Parts: sequence; C-alpha cells; structure tokens
Amino acid sequence: MKKNFSALSILLFLALVLLPAVPAHAQCKLGVPSIKVGVQGAASGPHADYGRQIEMGATMAAEEINAAGGILGCKVETRFMDDENKAATGVKNARLLVTDWGAHFTVGTDSSGVAMAMGPVLAELKRIHFFTHAATHRLTEELVAAKHIKEIVRVSVPIYQDAIIAALIFKDRKDIKRWANIGADYEYGYVAWNLFKETLKKHRPDVEFVGEAWAPFLTLDFSPHISAVMAQKPDAIFATPWAGEAVQLLRQALIQGVFDNVQVWWQAMGGSVDVLEGISAEVQKDRFKGKLWATARYIHNWPDTPENKSFIERYRKRWARFPNYSAETTYSALFIMKAAVEKARSLETAKVIDAMKGMQIRNPGGLRVFRSEDQQFIYNVPAGRPVMDAKYPIPVLGDLKVFQAKDYYRHPPFTPVAVTK
Amino acid sequence: MSPAPDRLSPQITTLIVLLVVALFLLPWVAGRYPVYLAMQILILAVFSLGFNLLLGYTGLLSFGQAGFFAVGAYACAKILLAVPNLILGIAGGVACAGVAALLLGILSVRHTRIYFAMLTLAFGMMIYSIAWKWRDFTGGDDGLVGIPRAPLEIPGIVSVSVAAMDRYYYVVLVLSLLAILAMYRLIRSPLGLTLQAIRESDTRAEFAGVPVRKYRLIAFTVAGLYAGLAGALLPPLENTVTPPIAHWSTSAEPVLATLLGGVHSFAGPIVGAFLFFVIKDVIVRFTEYWLIWFGIIVVALVIGFPGGVMSIFARRHRRVVQHPDDADHMHKVQ
Repeated sequence: MKKNFSALSILLFLALVLLPAVPAHAQCKLGVPSIKVGVQGAASGPHADYGRQIEMGATMAAEEINAAGGILGCKVETRFMDDENKAATGVKNARLLVTDWGAHFTVGTDSSGVAMAMGPVLAELKRIHFFTHAATHRLTEELVAAKHIKEIVRVSVPIYQDAIIAALIFKDRKDIKRWANIGADYEYGYVAWNLFKETLKKHRPDVEFVGEAWAPFLTLDFSPHISAVMAQKPDAIFATPWAGEAVQLLRQALIQGVFDNVQVWWQAMGGSVDVLEGISAEVQKDRFKGKLWATARYIHNWPDTPENKSFIERYRKRWARFPNYSAETTYSALFIMKAAVEKARSLETAKVIDAMKGMQIRNPGGLRVFRSEDQQFIYNVPAGRPVMDAKYPIPVLGDLKVFQAKDYYRHPPFTPVAVTK
Repeated sequence: MSPAPDRLSPQITTLIVLLVVALFLLPWVAGRYPVYLAMQILILAVFSLGFNLLLGYTGLLSFGQAGFFAVGAYACAKILLAVPNLILGIAGGVACAGVAALLLGILSVRHTRIYFAMLTLAFGMMIYSIAWKWRDFTGGDDGLVGIPRAPLEIPGIVSVSVAAMDRYYYVVLVLSLLAILAMYRLIRSPLGLTLQAIRESDTRAEFAGVPVRKYRLIAFTVAGLYAGLAGALLPPLENTVTPPIAHWSTSAEPVLATLLGGVHSFAGPIVGAFLFFVIKDVIVRFTEYWLIWFGIIVVALVIGFPGGVMSIFARRHRRVVQHPDDADHMHKVQ
C-alpha cells in the first residue's frame, strides 16, 4: 500500500512537472495551436458602432467558447480589424488576416459594397467568411447560388427584411395609397425600394409610388430630401438611411412636421440599438405619434426566450451595452462555426460547409436554419413600433408583427431584382 | 534641388541591383501577404513618381491625381470585364488616364500655385462625382466587382495566365520597374531639365524661349499617365474598383508618400511609398486607432526630416562630396 502510494505520488509529481511542457495544441484535436477567427467591421466614421458591436459579439462568443473548453479542445483566438466601410480596406484586411495572421475563418462586414468586393477574394483565399451584417441579396443570390463561391456564408437576414416584410405589414392598410421613398443612394437603398414596390404592388395594385429622394453615404442634412418627397403629399414614407444617418433623418423629419402629415414612416433598420438610443428622448415623448415602424436583423426584446434573455444579461454585464443586431449575428456566427467544426472535425472549407448542410441551430435571435442553395441562414425577425418598456432603459420594438421567414425570404431559383434607381 | 549626377555611384548601383534581385526573389522567400503588400507599395511608388514630376520637378502641386488614378482603374476594369486581356486592360487604362490628363491639363496649367492646386482638386472631385453618380457605367457607390485577373495575351501568338497572385506580382514588378526607369531617363533628358528650369524660374525660362505652358502640359499629362498606370494595375489585384479611389483623400497618398520620402530626391517617392505602407501596416497590427498614430508618425517625420527621409542620405552625400567646395566657398567669403 505504501509502495503504491509512493508510485502514485511520483506519477502525480511528474504530471505536475510535465503538464506545462506539453504544447497547448496537443490538447487541440485539430492539430493547431488555436482556431483563429479574423473579425472585420466598420469601426471608424458614422457607422462605427456597428463594427464595435461586431467586435464585442465576436469577443464574447470566443470567451464563452474558450471557458467551456474551446472547440474540440482548441482555443478560439479572435483579431479585429477596422474595414472603414471601404471595399479596398476590407479586401486588404481579409488578405492580411488569412495570409499573414493565419485566420482559419473570418467573420463580420457591415457594408454590402465591401462584401461584394470580398466575395471573389475569399474564393482565392479559400477561407469561409461568415457575413453578419451586409444585406445585399446579390451576395448570396449571385455570388453563392449562381457563381458557387462556397466561402460565403451569411448569418444575418438579407435585404428581404428591409423591404418585403414592410410590404406584407402595410398591404392591409387601405388608408395608405401614396408611398414615397427617402433612400440610401447605393445598392442597398435601390434594391430595398424596388423589392418593396414589387411586393406591395402584387397585393395592392391601387398604391402609387409618388416620390423618391436619394441620400448618399455621410449625408448630414436631409431637409432637401424630406421637402422633395413631402411636396408629393405621400401617405407614408419608406426610408433606408441607417445608423446615425437614420437618427438625423428622423429628427429632421420631426422638425419639418412630417409626422403630422403622414400615416406611417417605415425606417428599415430603425430597430438597431444605436438608432433606438438616438431617438430615445423622442420616443419617450411620443413625438412619432405611433407612426414610426422599424425592423432590424435582430431586436433585443425578441424572441422572448431564456436563451435570448440570458444573452442580453451576459452582454450587458460584459459590455454595459445592449447588443445590436451585428453583435448578435456575429456572436451566433461563432457558435455556428463551432457546431460545424465539431461535426466536420476539420477546418477545411469543403468539410465545414458540408457539416453545415441541414444545420438547425438555436441562437439568441432564435432558430436559424441553413439553406444550402445560397448558404443563407434563415430565421425570423419581426417588425414593430419603437415604444418604451419599463423593463428596458432604451426603446424596444412593440406591437410586433411576426412573419415566418419562409414566407418572406426570396427562394431559389432567384429572379433578378433591379439594382438601379 | 541639386542637379543629379549622370552616373550612379558604384555603391548605389550595387544597392539597386540587390534590391531588384530581392524583389524578383520575393515570392520565393516571402509569404503571400508580403507579396501583396509589395504590389501595393509598387503601385503607390509609380503613382507618387508621376506626382513628383509635377511637384518636385515642375513646381506644380496637384491635389487631383486620384482622378487620373481612378480613370486608369475604371477603364482597365471595364475593359477586363468586357474583354479578358490584361495587356488591353492596362494599356487602355493608361491611355484613358493620359487623355483625361491632357484635356484637364489644358485647363489647369493656365494657372500656377494655389489656383492650380484648387483647379486640380476640383477636377479630381469632379471625376469622383462621376464615379459615384454614373451608376450604369461605374456601378455607383457599389463600384465594379468581379474583375478578372485576365491572362497576358496577344491573340493567336501567346497567352500567359497570371491568375495566381505570384504571377501577377511579376506583371506589377516589371511594369513598375520600367516606369521607374522611364522616369529616371525623362528627368535627365532635355525635357526633364527644361521642367526643372521652369520650376526654378518660369519667367526666366520664358525669356529663354521655353514655351512654359506647353511643357507644363506635357508634365501634367505624363503625371496623368503614371497615375493611370498605377490605377490600371489595381483592379486585377483587388478584383474591384469603388469610387473612394477617386476621392481627394486618395490624392493625398502620393503627396504624403512624396513628403515622407523626399520631394528633392528621385527615389523619395519610392522610399515614401514603402514607408507609407510599412508604417500603416505595422500600426494596424497593434491598434484599431491606427489613423491617430499614423498621423503622429507622419507629422514627426515631416518635422524631423523637412526634406523627407532621403534628405539624410543627401546631407551625408553632400558632406562627403561637397566638403572641398564648401571650404573653398568659405575661404572666398572670408
């Protein structure tokens, strides 16, 4: 017994001495020191909050995955880079992250322009990028479904959310016959408006589209755009400028008395945390008179599930902020990557994509289902009116209208959508 | 600027040969990212050399070179999207930029100093607006995407694939070296010397019978051709072209590179382009707030080396070579 005890002591001693000498990646079943995930987003300029939220979402996901033992024993390491919302910077960052830093996966990207520029480069780099904000339909419909760039996976809801769901909500409002548009003067704005018109016209042949005003990136003064469309006496406004520009637009619309003269204002991504924070005072005073409607790619007060509540709590504890949609989608992207790598037991692009086929995964934003044809994750996000709720210090979306994603997402084979004004 | 010696010293020649050999060996010894970075540096070096023909050799500060850079890039992209032939794409890009520079030059070189600078800024931003607004042709804010890295092809004779990054690197390297060599010859030619005479005193040059405006127009057009070549090399590398490349902030890049390297040195813009990318690349590895640090370093370098980094070598060279003359001069003054 004494002899056994001594042998055990020696073994324990050796284990203690030798344990640190074993390389960290010896525990990793994928044979790499760590799984490197390159993260990109706009972290400078007026849309910087989206990049920050992408970074916060990725960081928190990596921390939680690592605390729970990593992926097949491999630690997840993230590295964030500011793409400045510029295509050239996004492409350069992707190259640096993959060919210099050695990223196994990349994630993020806010702008559709950056995403479209990165698409073909990802095929060259042979790395999967999980897109968590860029909304252009062309990313998945054209680059994946038509051109078969398998390195593109989108976790966030595309432009269908901005346009088709709005048409479905307002098709039954018989009092609204004249729609006008204050649009983002680039592809996102054009496609959103075209999809909205196309969908609404199918249900309501009697509606008219009476005015359009286009605001380029970095517009500060929207008063001429507002005046131009209000001169056409519309019943409702469809607006696509986003982030700080949306806040500015809404405030100027209030100053110009727009909410006294229209029945509805649809603010495409108005359910994002930064916009809700920006218009918090106006919502508290009910200055939008219940006429403002919005959606997002995830909203923090929906779904009402334990997973989402817990996510919000942890996120607020970690960052003292509410997560906006780019945080949730990026956070979820890392868990999707984890599930796929664990199933594939490999970091190879083809095997990881194969592992995603048929995937159904529950994230804070709800159940996401992988659609192989365009490598788009499908999930529901409702639309509603910004209201105050005693449980939250910032506005939430209330009077929620929930549509099943399968009913408003476009389906393959995809028909062309005009990407012009 | 002191007149450059006709022949390079053996040490400088050896250094250049070693550098060129190192550049040719780069894809064999370095990873994919350094090769990509080297291409970015070479493109900015060509862009900056053209710019410095105007600033350093002709005394004209242009804030609109990004316009010609963008014309070269968009023209090359449009050609490659229609006809996948790299020779045609690059040649077309250079030609279009040259024509644009000639036309806008006719209007710009009528003025000098701040008026010239403001005119070029306005024309550059005009091209930027066209790139942004003419959506049917330029893709608007979303730009042109999916530009192929087409083969080097002379139909029926030869077709060389440069789809791999390493192969395209050699296209960029060879064209950049040829452009550098051509500029080196140009500034030592009668044309180059005339431009320098105009820079020193346009009135004096005019009295000597030099058609100053015509020479300024030539310099402006050559600078446009260089900007066009740099721009045309970009789309096959990045597979995309977007309006920000025509923005005045892109025009600032050759200005910064030239100031960093040295206005009064032939190699200044090349060294500056290297510093520009290396400083930026090092900083982004450590902080997201790279712009602040980049600005601080650039300010420090410009204050510390008013003649650019190359002025250190020029000073040393002068100390060694010109010392007897200086002593003689001092003696005469006394």
